[in-house]
Amino acid sequence: MEELFSKLADCIEFGKIDEVSPYPPNFKGQTGADEITAQVLAKGASAQDVLNNALIPGMEKVGVKFREGTIFVPQVLMSAKAMKTAMVHLKPLLKQGNVKQKGTFVIGTVEGDLHDIGKNLVAMMVEGNGYEVIDMGTDVSVDAFVQQIEKTPDCVVGLSALLTTTMVNMEKIVKNVKEKFPHQKVCIGGAPVNNEFCDKIGADNYSADPQGVVDFLNTLAS
Amino acid sequence: MKGFELIKKAMRLQEVERIPWVPFVGSHAGELLGLTATEYLQSTDKIVEGVNKAIELYNPDGIPVAFDLQIEAEALGCQLAWAKDNPPAVISHPLTEGIAIDDLKVPCACKGRISMVLEATRRLREQHPDLALYGLITGPFTLALHLLGTDIFMQMMMEPDKVHKLMRFTTNVAKMMASKYIESGADIIAVVDPMTSQIDPLSFETFVTPCVTEIFDMVREAEALSSFFVCGNAKQNIEVMCQTKPDNISIDENIPLDYVRDVALRHNVSFGGNIKLTVVLLMGDEEASRRDALECMDIGGKKGFILAPGCDLAMATPKENLMAVAELVHDELLQGELRASEANVGNIELMDLSNHWDNNRVVIDIITLDSSSCAPCQYMVNAVSRAADDFGDKVVYQEHRIKEVEGVRMMATLGVQNLPTIVIDGNIDFVSQIPPIQDIKDRIAACLAAKQQ
Repeated sequence: MEELFSKLADCIEFGKIDEVSPYPPNFKGQTGADEITAQVLAKGASAQDVLNNALIPGMEKVGVKFREGTIFVPQVLMSAKAMKTAMVHLKPLLKQGNVKQKGTFVIGTVEGDLHDIGKNLVAMMVEGNGYEVIDMGTDVSVDAFVQQIEKTPDCVVGLSALLTTTMVNMEKIVKNVKEKFPHQKVCIGGAPVNNEFCDKIGADNYSADPQGVVDFLNTLAS
Repeated sequence: MKGFELIKKAMRLQEVERIPWVPFVGSHAGELLGLTATEYLQSTDKIVEGVNKAIELYNPDGIPVAFDLQIEAEALGCQLAWAKDNPPAVISHPLTEGIAIDDLKVPCACKGRISMVLEATRRLREQHPDLALYGLITGPFTLALHLLGTDIFMQMMMEPDKVHKLMRFTTNVAKMMASKYIESGADIIAVVDPMTSQIDPLSFETFVTPCVTEIFDMVREAEALSSFFVCGNAKQNIEVMCQTKPDNISIDENIPLDYVRDVALRHNVSFGGNIKLTVVLLMGDEEASRRDALECMDIGGKKGFILAPGCDLAMATPKENLMAVAELVHDELLQGELRASEANVGNIELMDLSNHWDNNRVVIDIITLDSSSCAPCQYMVNAVSRAADDFGDKVVYQEHRIKEVEGVRMMATLGVQNLPTIVIDGNIDFVSQIPPIQDIKDRIAACLAAKQQ
């Protein structure tokens, strides 16, 4: 079983979706995340084991490599796709079992901003690390965030912005959310945003890359 | 020398007397006219008026006609969401909505807003014959992303042939745009391909290199110049970008300028950038803008460097900040003062001047940028020299050039803040303006009288 977990972790790390997928070239003809996940479940592994021993370790490596600049968006998306393929097998089991997720993460690109690549990467990485992710999409208003927090009071909120003009809306959202829910944790990210800005608007965390968000969530969860 | 000639010299890697300056004014010019981005970017008249306003305020050597990477996408059927304070955003990707790549045709230059920016180019060319006009075109990868959406990233891995085919098409569009811009009078074709910052060098070489190399070859054949703009952290791709043989690459603050300088010059490519767009130009003040620009200029140097903001200026960038940069670019004296005050802020070691002073003689220190290259400095040194003549060996005077470390240390030690300045026996007596020779003589005489008492 150990060997299969490690092979599955490799599939996530290198983005091998299934046997027919041509990517990555050096995995050609081998089974991928799809087949191996089915195989380990058939051998009796629990969904939680698959998550903890294969998917999360694989995704963590992806996060670190992305942060270090050895892989880029296309590679991360391939890994995310491999992860999703594995999750198709796990989700029904996770739903019926008493599996504990590490927490809930509510993410959206702020009002006025339609960009979603960065937000999607963060959502995938966070999900891949064992959190439930509620993706609110792009152009998300203050009210929409507030309503979502009311529904999932234990969540952590993540705000994304690509534009210099919409990053200003982050301030509005953080202010409003904190007024209504003083203990609500909010983290921010996006190309024009930095630590200085994060402090200025009173957000709890800024991350330059998706792995940073995972690290922040893990600190809160532990 | 200024304008296009100066930029050409920089792009040819010849030493320039002054660093050229190209503010990337896009929808920001709309703000200068009190218009929304939507109003501004949909009117030839407004674009011409806005660029003229920017030229008047920012005294640039070159300027883009328009900065809008959605023009080609719009002509190809992508839907746009228009905004008040931003260029529009592409919100639909035809290739994911049932349109096949074979159905797409290179648009006519008469279509959509293409004809509008070409007309603006023609008018601006006529009004500003010496200014470098930048024709900005959407880079083939970014245009491919507009057409296909983010699916392109996975398709690169799973179905590379399809991506090659799409890139072939977007390259044809880019070449059409480049040739039309050149025909209309643009001097420099800037291929703006920010989405390439998201891919690795190998993918870049596989999908992007053949396309942009072809565009730059075409621009060269048309005897125009080219620049390759990327916004975002594309540090990993600077090397491969240079290998596509543009005349220039331009980057934003996500990439250290010294790194780009070293790589670009190694490939004989000029480079530009990277005044900080947000924390400095948008949110900072004039002082911060000047300092950041000076830092860029000092790193960039006078060979192959063009000073520019990192990318399209945020619409609400205060015009005072850009005017402060423009002033600095054209005023070498101001650069010198700023450099010296910077040194003051840092940990500069002050000098021990106890042996500098003399009980019998008057000691005059003239702090200059360099009297051989700065006219006011030269006149000031001359004035001191002539005033001192009458006093023979009772006066010693010395020029301290702040181009040298010793000069900066002397400036800091004496507490001098402006250039040029005359310090007599440690007193800052004459600042900036060249005094009448008699005034200097009077000061010397008074100091001598004090010593003799």
